[in-house]
Amino acid sequence: MSRPILEVRELTTKYITRFQEDIYAVDHVSLTVEEGKSLGIAGESGCGKSTLALSLMGYYFPPLHYSSGEIIIDGRNITGMDPDDVRRSILGKEVAYIPQAAMNALNPTQKVISFIEDVVRAHNPKASKQEIYELARDRFEMLGLPAEVLQKHPVELSGGMKQRTVIAVSVILGPKVLIADEPSSALDVTSQKMVIKMLRDMMESGFIKAMLFITHELPLLYNVTDDIMVMYAGQLVERAPAEKAVFDPLHPYSKGLMGSIIVPEEGLREHKLAAIPGTPPNLKNPPKGCRFAPRCRYVRPECTTLSVPLRRVEDERTYRCIIPEAELREIYAHEQQ
Amino acid sequence: MKGYLKYFLGKTIWFLVTLVAAFILNFILPRLMPGDPVAAIVSRMAQGMSNASGVQAIYEQYTELFGTDQSMIQQFFLYVRNVFQGDFGFSFSQYPRTVADVLRSSIWWTVMLQFPAIIVGWLIGNTLGAMAAYRKGAFDKVLLPVSIFVSNLPAFGMAVILLVIFAVNLGWLPTSGGYGYDLIPSMSWTFFWSVFVHYQLPFWSIVLIAIGGQAIGMRSMSIYELNADYVKYSRFMGIKDSKIVGYVFRNAMLPQITGLALSIGTMVSGALVAEIIFSYPGLGSTILTAVLGQDYPLISATTLIITIMVLTANFLIEIIYGFLDPRIKAAQAD
Repeated sequence: MSRPILEVRELTTKYITRFQEDIYAVDHVSLTVEEGKSLGIAGESGCGKSTLALSLMGYYFPPLHYSSGEIIIDGRNITGMDPDDVRRSILGKEVAYIPQAAMNALNPTQKVISFIEDVVRAHNPKASKQEIYELARDRFEMLGLPAEVLQKHPVELSGGMKQRTVIAVSVILGPKVLIADEPSSALDVTSQKMVIKMLRDMMESGFIKAMLFITHELPLLYNVTDDIMVMYAGQLVERAPAEKAVFDPLHPYSKGLMGSIIVPEEGLREHKLAAIPGTPPNLKNPPKGCRFAPRCRYVRPECTTLSVPLRRVEDERTYRCIIPEAELREIYAHEQQ
Repeated sequence: MKGYLKYFLGKTIWFLVTLVAAFILNFILPRLMPGDPVAAIVSRMAQGMSNASGVQAIYEQYTELFGTDQSMIQQFFLYVRNVFQGDFGFSFSQYPRTVADVLRSSIWWTVMLQFPAIIVGWLIGNTLGAMAAYRKGAFDKVLLPVSIFVSNLPAFGMAVILLVIFAVNLGWLPTSGGYGYDLIPSMSWTFFWSVFVHYQLPFWSIVLIAIGGQAIGMRSMSIYELNADYVKYSRFMGIKDSKIVGYVFRNAMLPQITGLALSIGTMVSGALVAEIIFSYPGLGSTILTAVLGQDYPLISATTLIITIMVLTANFLIEIIYGFLDPRIKAAQAD
């Protein structure tokens, strides 16, 4: 087992609403990403995947608050650190974030280089303009972006170029961990491909040590990441190597999620696309027992009373269901016929 | 840059076309008012005169002097020629003073009253609005309703309230005028002090109303910008909050600049109410007397000043905005 770069232990974070209600959008989530590996996070909207991405930065601002758990980046525990220390020595330097809507992620009235200057100086106030320019130019060239982009305002860039610029800005300080929150969902296929290639290249060259990729597009995850983690109602419900997560899911929710994708294959026309009935629970007061129980087709009476721990099967595979693996497989096999 | 130059030229042409149209209207509209201004002057001059032919002679003399016996077209070209020579003619109502003389004596009162008031109101309003958006909580909860209340008070209402409280009831400040009626304008401390004291009420009545409107606008723009995606992204890139607040307020300020330029443009007409209520010797009072006295040349000249100021302000905003906001510039160059 190689060196873990990102380790998260039982992380819980909550939103506090205006009415002082706590909403646990990330509930006791644990995960490990080893050096050179990437992990994809999938789930419906509202399942807590974006909140998980924000929570992993270790830097919280209202309405999101830290509740419990630990985040360890390359052996350094960042929970409990002074927020200003996190800002200066972790954000952008150890962990970098690529936001969901890169379209608006750059300040519209600032040139790209001027924003990069602010970013670099936030960590190193003494950096000179020339130094920063050279760093930015080299980084942009390394990532295959023209250096002219630096002198432009965001409005002068196309959507795909803006997204790639945001990625390049995110990694300007050479972070170890990259957290990409739907970096390609608003783009056309060509730009999407370029963005994905950029992320993959950074992983392959070892420039980025670990990556978390969040999306609702499962086929994309299968192509990009080593492992896939499925979230439901703030909890981790299944984690498996990408291939197994897509073609051999264990948890009934993952099964439903994977069944709802269109796979272009023979007989697709006749194939009826499966949907998961119902909607995710309200996290203000999540259901007791298994959170998926109200929507699960294999629900049993004990599902709603017992708390469901994660089960570990094989090496790198876990899922959260009271039905044992063998029994689940039997049910699925029976259904196929 | 070529596209921008074209944009600039286009705007200049439109500026000139609008100016010409406004100039013509400025000439025609006052003259469409019913009534005969010369008759009004003559009746004033001829008070106590019983000799009908004498009155008739005075009437004809004034008609000739003011050129009201000629056709509208002739009058217009005469007017154009004179204006280009910097001659706005005689004021009907304040004859024998010339229009230029009347304007010269009143315009500085207005500029000195309005310009600082607009700037101060704008600065205080925007600062309060930005603070309300950033600090939220009790400050915001108090500021917002107060701003809405104050900004919706009609200008004359605010002026009258201040007048009643500070001038009539408390007697701290004088009720009217630009300086004490017993003083002659001079370079003395007594005169300056008198001007300063008379300045306060009209000034604050304008400032208070401006503050409310600006604060509301700035508050909502700032809230919008504070929730923008670039704020979140900048935070996660480790940029300090103080810096991010700088981005936010710069961007939120952009629409407010339009407001500032427009209120500077409409300065003269905006002064009307405050000046009339406080009998301030500025352009506002001049316009009122001009309209009441059917003083065509004076009305045309004052409205021409307003027109030019509004047009210039608009023109300048369009040009400056391109430099302040790259998004506008990109749209302009298209």
